Amino acid sequence: MKTKILIGLIALLLILTGCGQRASDSNSSAGKDELVFASTKDIRDINPHLTSGELAAQNMVFESLVVNTPEGVQPKLAKSWDISEDGLTYTFHLREDVVFSDGAPFNADAVKQNIDAVVSNYEKNAWLNLVQVIDQTEVIDEYTFALTLKNPYYPTLEELGLTRPFRMISPQNFIDGTTANGVSGYAGTGPYTLAEHKDNQYALFTANESYWGDKPSIKNIHWQVMPDHQTILLGLQNGEVDLIFGADGDMLDANAFTALQEQGQYITEVSPPSGSRSILLNSNREFTKDRLVREALQYAINKQTIASGILNDTEQIADTLMSKSTPYANIDLEIRSYDAQKAEELLDQAGWVKADDGYRYKDGKKLSLMLSYNSDNAQEKTIGESMQSDLKAIGVELTILGEEKQAYFDRQKSGDFDLQYSLSWGLPYDPQTYVSTWRVPSHGDYQAQAGLEKKEWLDQTIGEVLVEQDEAARAEKYKQIFTYVHEEAVYLPLTYSVVKAIYSERLKGVGFNVSQYEIPFENMYFE
Amino acid sequence: MRQYLTKRILSTIPLLLFVTFLAFILINLRTSDPAEIALRVNQITPTEEMVQSMREELGLDEPFLVRYKNWIVNSLQGELGYSYVNKKPVLEELQLAIPPTLQLAGATLAIIVFFSISIGILCSIFENRWQDRLLRGFIFFLSAMPSFWIGLLLMWFFAVYLGLLPTSGMNSPQSIILPAVTLSMTFLSTYVRLIRNNMIQNKHENFILYAKVRGLNERTITWNIFTNSIQSSLTAFGMSIPRLIAGTVIVENIFAWPGIGRLCVKAIFNSDYPVIQAYIVLMAVLFIICNLLVDIVVVMIDPRLRREAK
Repeated sequence: MKTKILIGLIALLLILTGCGQRASDSNSSAGKDELVFASTKDIRDINPHLTSGELAAQNMVFESLVVNTPEGVQPKLAKSWDISEDGLTYTFHLREDVVFSDGAPFNADAVKQNIDAVVSNYEKNAWLNLVQVIDQTEVIDEYTFALTLKNPYYPTLEELGLTRPFRMISPQNFIDGTTANGVSGYAGTGPYTLAEHKDNQYALFTANESYWGDKPSIKNIHWQVMPDHQTILLGLQNGEVDLIFGADGDMLDANAFTALQEQGQYITEVSPPSGSRSILLNSNREFTKDRLVREALQYAINKQTIASGILNDTEQIADTLMSKSTPYANIDLEIRSYDAQKAEELLDQAGWVKADDGYRYKDGKKLSLMLSYNSDNAQEKTIGESMQSDLKAIGVELTILGEEKQAYFDRQKSGDFDLQYSLSWGLPYDPQTYVSTWRVPSHGDYQAQAGLEKKEWLDQTIGEVLVEQDEAARAEKYKQIFTYVHEEAVYLPLTYSVVKAIYSERLKGVGFNVSQYEIPFENMYFE
Repeated sequence: MRQYLTKRILSTIPLLLFVTFLAFILINLRTSDPAEIALRVNQITPTEEMVQSMREELGLDEPFLVRYKNWIVNSLQGELGYSYVNKKPVLEELQLAIPPTLQLAGATLAIIVFFSISIGILCSIFENRWQDRLLRGFIFFLSAMPSFWIGLLLMWFFAVYLGLLPTSGMNSPQSIILPAVTLSMTFLSTYVRLIRNNMIQNKHENFILYAKVRGLNERTITWNIFTNSIQSSLTAFGMSIPRLIAGTVIVENIFAWPGIGRLCVKAIFNSDYPVIQAYIVLMAVLFIICNLLVDIVVVMIDPRLRREAK
């Protein structure tokens, strides 16, 4: 009887698959003017002055005075600018041919209202240092605007160019003279306007007819929400999706990326290194407060396995916390490559003796560490398991604790972890925004550094470097900061993150912006 | 009858109170501070004073029982609070998410009813012959597969391979087919078995024997068996409605269906307590009401129970 059922089932499957003919090749690109971009996330509220929306969507609609490019800060809505001798006043000369998509004029008054709105909503925007140091805004004439700081702050232009919060929205969209409690519309000066948004389903962007710059080639961008990664891949294969784009395993895990790369039907591209992915080794905990132990861990982890085996070579091995292409991080530091032998020697030196069970003990205590991670991120778990087996080989027990986001944050804040992931935001936030957060006690970085002898000096130096006007002195301070944390081995650098893009062959002009969170739709076109 | 109805309806009140209280306790057992979460989802780095003022704003500084009472009283008035994440009223979020889920549940129910009845009848006609075994085996095989797996297989086959249907989303009327079929798989085998077994049982009842003796044709006899078998399945069908609605979580995620399951998953990931609480209450109410309705319908259909109820 069983065989009969089996035969019946096989027959059924054969019939089902036999009658299949691929019917989806009929999509022609001729005259195609809509690009479908699949994202696991909805665009939400794209108010440029708040952090609740998707950065890539905010970037399509809103522009800033300046823009971050691989060649540094370049003009955008400001044609040029002057910086006063004391580094306190920035005078911007604005473009005169710009209007908001609702027809409101773009001028110094609009800039002032926007920047004032950001600064007045201090609580929500204080994560960015520039917001903390802005003193005054002033309209000099219709197309000249001046920004005065409380103290010199060298990354001022970089931070003005970030995707948020200093982007310009039409003052007509303000509610009661502010954007803090929402906006009445999303009129910007960018290449696209938001035409339609259905919560959790899709958003439709159309080319801004009154755009001052080169008008985008693709008329419509359809932002389709697909919460499941597999669905996105099937959508791509079915021709329903034209582009997948994202960083940090957000949109695509490495396996899927490699599989599509091998199929060869799609174009896959990887950006230059952006953010840094490392492990914090908590200097304020019983076992890891010993520098020798922290150093031993640095030698014990086989990063090649992580980069090739888990991340399928879609990320680069990191020898130092910051990649050499990060500003001020091109410094020579002693590289600690994988060397289990050396790791064992260091642990011996620290007084940890291997017992019969293969683990190391000191004063009757087992060398057991805990790695905490956010359970939303599947990749981090796999990386943790790889580290677990590497550490077992040198006699260190590693328990991996995955918790939901808030519990993970709680642990970050209380410092109740031995090892935890640390991710920088990538360029153009690195290095200044990253090191700046090291001073904030609710960050894991602060907690992990709390046991360092010179933590006070470190925080002070970070404070100084941000206001340092002299380029050479600034470079020297960064060097001190990076050298110190490297020598103290509080960061175990793993890899540098990259942005991945997969798209159909007919789509051209796909590139990367400096920020890994932006997507340059305006440069893309169909062939 | 009226007395029975009043009694049944009144008995749901303590049940609802108990369920909501339990849900409230469970949510409050979490170690994370909701005030801090509410700040953090908006990228605000929480300081002591901010957490304190947020606690007051959210009414979290009140004693536990007072908070529970406030929550219940407000919920009864339709004020379910505001989402921590996007500050929108929870009621508005639910109003957006419920219709797609109801559509999905409706389509799924139609599929379940149609296929479980037709396959159930077929199976009982071919009782223990190979057709019966093949059909049951096949249905069992499908039901045994986890829904995310079968959903992706169906999506690959019908959308990518055959190019007949869209993979996901809610952009065309056909979009509902794949998620509804996927969702129905979980329930199908239970109902096919239920109907088949009831049919087979009834086949050997005396009234069927009499019908045969009277020389009625095969069709009429099968119809008679069916109408007698369907009654006991009714309870199960009734209770599967809330189960369907509560069970859409995975399917909605895979097929990008903007329903209540996805709303709930997102709320859980963001620790958006007002939304989670509202979801729990909604589900509790749904289960209790469906249970009540099924009980009443069963009593109304069955003359014996109707007499008892009096």
